[in-house]
Amino acid sequence: MEGEPPLGSPWSTALGDPPPPAQKTLSLQERWIPLGISVVSVAVVFGSLACLVGSSEQWPRIQRQFFNGSAMLEAFPAVLRGFWTNLAVWGVVLCCIAVWALVLAVFRSLSGPWFAPLRLFTVVYIDLFRGLPALLLVLLFGFGIPALQIPGLPRTSLFWAGTAMVLSYSAYAAEVYRSGMEAVHEGQRAAAKALGLSQWQTLRYAIVPQAVRNVLPALLNLAVALQKDVALLSVVGVRDAVREAQIYTARTFNYSSLVAAALLFLVTSIPLARFTDTIARRDRDRRLQRTL
Amino acid sequence: MVRELVPVLAAVGLGLGLAVSTAAQERTPNDPRLFNPGQLTVATGDPVFPPWMLNDDPAGGEGFENGLVYALAAEMGFAPEDVVWVRESFEQSIAPGPKSYDFAIQQISVTEARSEVVTFSSVYYQPDKAVVALPDSPVVGASSFEELRQARWGATVGTTDLDYLENILGISNVAVYDDQAGVFQAMQGDLIDATVVALPTALFVTAVQVPEAKITALLPPDENDRGHGLLFEKDNPLVDWVNEALAAVIERGVVEDLTQTYLVGDEVIPEIRE
Repeated sequence: MEGEPPLGSPWSTALGDPPPPAQKTLSLQERWIPLGISVVSVAVVFGSLACLVGSSEQWPRIQRQFFNGSAMLEAFPAVLRGFWTNLAVWGVVLCCIAVWALVLAVFRSLSGPWFAPLRLFTVVYIDLFRGLPALLLVLLFGFGIPALQIPGLPRTSLFWAGTAMVLSYSAYAAEVYRSGMEAVHEGQRAAAKALGLSQWQTLRYAIVPQAVRNVLPALLNLAVALQKDVALLSVVGVRDAVREAQIYTARTFNYSSLVAAALLFLVTSIPLARFTDTIARRDRDRRLQRTL
Repeated sequence: MVRELVPVLAAVGLGLGLAVSTAAQERTPNDPRLFNPGQLTVATGDPVFPPWMLNDDPAGGEGFENGLVYALAAEMGFAPEDVVWVRESFEQSIAPGPKSYDFAIQQISVTEARSEVVTFSSVYYQPDKAVVALPDSPVVGASSFEELRQARWGATVGTTDLDYLENILGISNVAVYDDQAGVFQAMQGDLIDATVVALPTALFVTAVQVPEAKITALLPPDENDRGHGLLFEKDNPLVDWVNEALAAVIERGVVEDLTQTYLVGDEVIPEIRE
């Protein structure tokens, strides 16, 4: 908008020059009014929700049955004990998935006729394990394999149900890795080839490190989902936080233990979500080459 | 003046009549306090198991619990066809909020803690607890709680069996399954050594469902578990009426007969007392 406007432009009016651009400083009014509106609207919306819930004649009973402090305290030790089981299983399963899914993704990306069986295996594997509900796999593995009583293999339900989770989630994670690998620019492959790197070296030094960086947020998202799905292991007798909460509920018909378990899950998954956001933002800054 | 009062008097009279007729209908099959007046709506599990109810058919009337319900309904003045069965899971029947039935029957144990949230009828049956295991299990031949504690135990979530294992036998790491099928699956997969169930259930399981399992011992009762009761929505006004009918039915020996018909075995089982 500098210099003389060209002839025939809307600015060439009888008034002459166009108006100068507005000042960038906000007046007190402009700064505080939106804030005031936000505060008031939040207060109104949540206030009316609270009134609506609180004025229901069933609310005191629901409060006693769901948000009962003494019941939560009573159930908390058992729920917390179960929650450590959740976290331990989650950690181990997560590490196995990170490795196994990457192996699958690499198998699938190999080119050349010799690797056809590996590629076929991976395609079938991913179709199979992505197409089956995790709960079914946990039941089949957790009850079925120990019942075979094969010598030399572990016989605990926990081990086999955990294996089922690894197999199932790896299928998803492998696809995430693969999308990351395909997002690496073709020029990188060509450059690696030009440097005389073999197929393995290309993958190891050029493709995979960039692919993992590209899909880290998506992988962390899977990790958050997995953390909650560990509760599936309760169907084969593992006493995790959700199961301990259910036991308390069945014993007393009071649901506060489930709310206590919910709070524990939130306490761990929310920081993880924030961490994911941070990683994603740093990654975006790196790719757009912003400097701090 | 009188003429103007007529409608008022008529209205008052009508109101009184309604009140009287409502009161007169109480404790009859048309009691307005029923979930569906004219019918007795009873909830039970899905599926239901022998010997509590046979053939997964509550309306068939064969079995201990549905036999009891039909006797109770007759005592209350209902024809058998006026008993309506609602099928729902245990979780649904204990869920908070209004109930879609008059009462539920599903071997639900009466306990202090549960009574704060729902209302129970008086107890109609107090089963013994039995240890069930496969013949090669370490609990076979055990003679004390101490020996039982050496084994790996499993139980079903939501039952007093789990409480029994933890509180009476003092076992801390009981594996917990969603249903009885899971418990016996785990037993056959050598993941657990034994379980505890009510004796009638144990008799049926060892006779029909898992014939290779057997009852290895009887255990003493748990004082906190007062036995099975009917479950009502908290403060349901029908409880007194049902309790009187239940008392009359027990008085007539109906429960005793049903017990003899459905719930007893004929083998001698060793007892473990401490």
